[in-house]
Amino acid sequence: MTDELSYEQARAELAGVVERLEAGGTTLEEALALWERGEQLADVCQRWLDGARQRLDAARAARSDEA
Amino acid sequence: MVSQKIGAWIARLGWIWVDGQVAQITRRPGATTVFLTLRDPSADISLTVTTNRDVLDTGAPNLGEGARVLLHAKPDFYPGRGTLSLRADEIRQVGLGELLARLEQLKKLLAAEGLFEPAGKRRLPFLPGRIGLITGRASAAERDVLMNTRRRWPAVEFRVINVAVQGPTSVPQMIDALRVLDQDATVDVIVIARGGGSTEDLLPFSDEALCRAVFACRTPVVSAVGHETDTPLLDFVADLRASTPTDAAKRLVPDFGEELRLIRYARHRLDRAVTVLLDREQHRLDAVRSRPVLARPELMVEHRQVEVTSLWERGARTLDHRLTSAAGDLSHTLARLRALSPAATLRRGYAIVQAPDGTVVRTPRDVAPGDPLRVRLAEGEIAATVAEMPPAPGPPVGAQTERARS
Repeated sequence: MTDELSYEQARAELAGVVERLEAGGTTLEEALALWERGEQLADVCQRWLDGARQRLDAARAARSDEA
Repeated sequence: MVSQKIGAWIARLGWIWVDGQVAQITRRPGATTVFLTLRDPSADISLTVTTNRDVLDTGAPNLGEGARVLLHAKPDFYPGRGTLSLRADEIRQVGLGELLARLEQLKKLLAAEGLFEPAGKRRLPFLPGRIGLITGRASAAERDVLMNTRRRWPAVEFRVINVAVQGPTSVPQMIDALRVLDQDATVDVIVIARGGGSTEDLLPFSDEALCRAVFACRTPVVSAVGHETDTPLLDFVADLRASTPTDAAKRLVPDFGEELRLIRYARHRLDRAVTVLLDREQHRLDAVRSRPVLARPELMVEHRQVEVTSLWERGARTLDHRLTSAAGDLSHTLARLRALSPAATLRRGYAIVQAPDGTVVRTPRDVAPGDPLRVRLAEGEIAATVAEMPPAPGPPVGAQTERARS
């Protein structure tokens, strides 16, 4: 499910999670669940960025092969 | 018989004025009759004209092939060979000034009809699949267009139709070539090219029929005739006017090197834009991940650990206080308890006398001689018996016992 999130969706949800964590006032159980979700979302964001960078590098490599 | 009838019928036709171009002129030495082949410059139609040498010498003494003439003539049938000809009694060579005046008139007419309207011009394709070229065989114009276009865009394709670019046959040939190229679906643009020449040489490019044919073309037509200063009517009706055949090449195809440079530049910008975007997003993500709530999740537990420890300590301290004060209370109470106990009094030497039923004996009146008594001391008890009763009011038995001991 998490993997179907777009980068923007994941980033927005991550910001929300961090805000709630920082605001405090949650139970430990909730805080743990929020943190786990935050880690998951940050991974999704990172995967998107890594993927984009790989594609960019591949395109660059293909181009320099051409040239 | 038939010839005679045709001759009679033709003889009934009246005198007419005819405008045309001389395709051929035959002057036989000694003969008074001169033969001309007259051609319609737009259509491939010709007709023989016969006239008297005097008529020719009066109206057009230096008449040569290709010249434009106006003649007054009557159709004439020559039964001897079965040919139709025109018999002219007046021939005038059309001069350059008159030709230009006619061109000006034709230009006004075509302009009025809307053939030159900018709104009617078709746009040239950015990169034509195939270019149709109408030009003279092995001409400088042909070489200029082909070479310069290929230099700019090496992969360009041409379909070349060579035509006569001057003289009486040039207009019909050019119109035919236009039709062929316009019908060729692979041809995206048509160029009509010719190098410089005299005003008369360039006359075919101002021909009314050619202008109309160009206007009717569905394929865009580029005019590349003569030098910068030449402006045949074709220039006005064409969708694009190139000043020279070399200039046409520039307008037909983009420059390969320049396009390559633009693409490279666009790619570079594209690259940069994506890289900048990715870097920015990476920074944002890093910033969020470095926030303590995510970067040090153990704090979540540690904070609570501190809370728990402090609470535990508070609890322990409180309990400790309670225990201490409770202990104090206890010893105090014990002291009080002890203070209230008869044991201390007994230790000082007092004794308690009790009857067998436990009743404390407070006066001799409570006992009689021979009664058993229990004497309670600090360290145990003594069983005693009342020996005698003193005369009242004597001191209690216990007091006597006490006194006896000390």
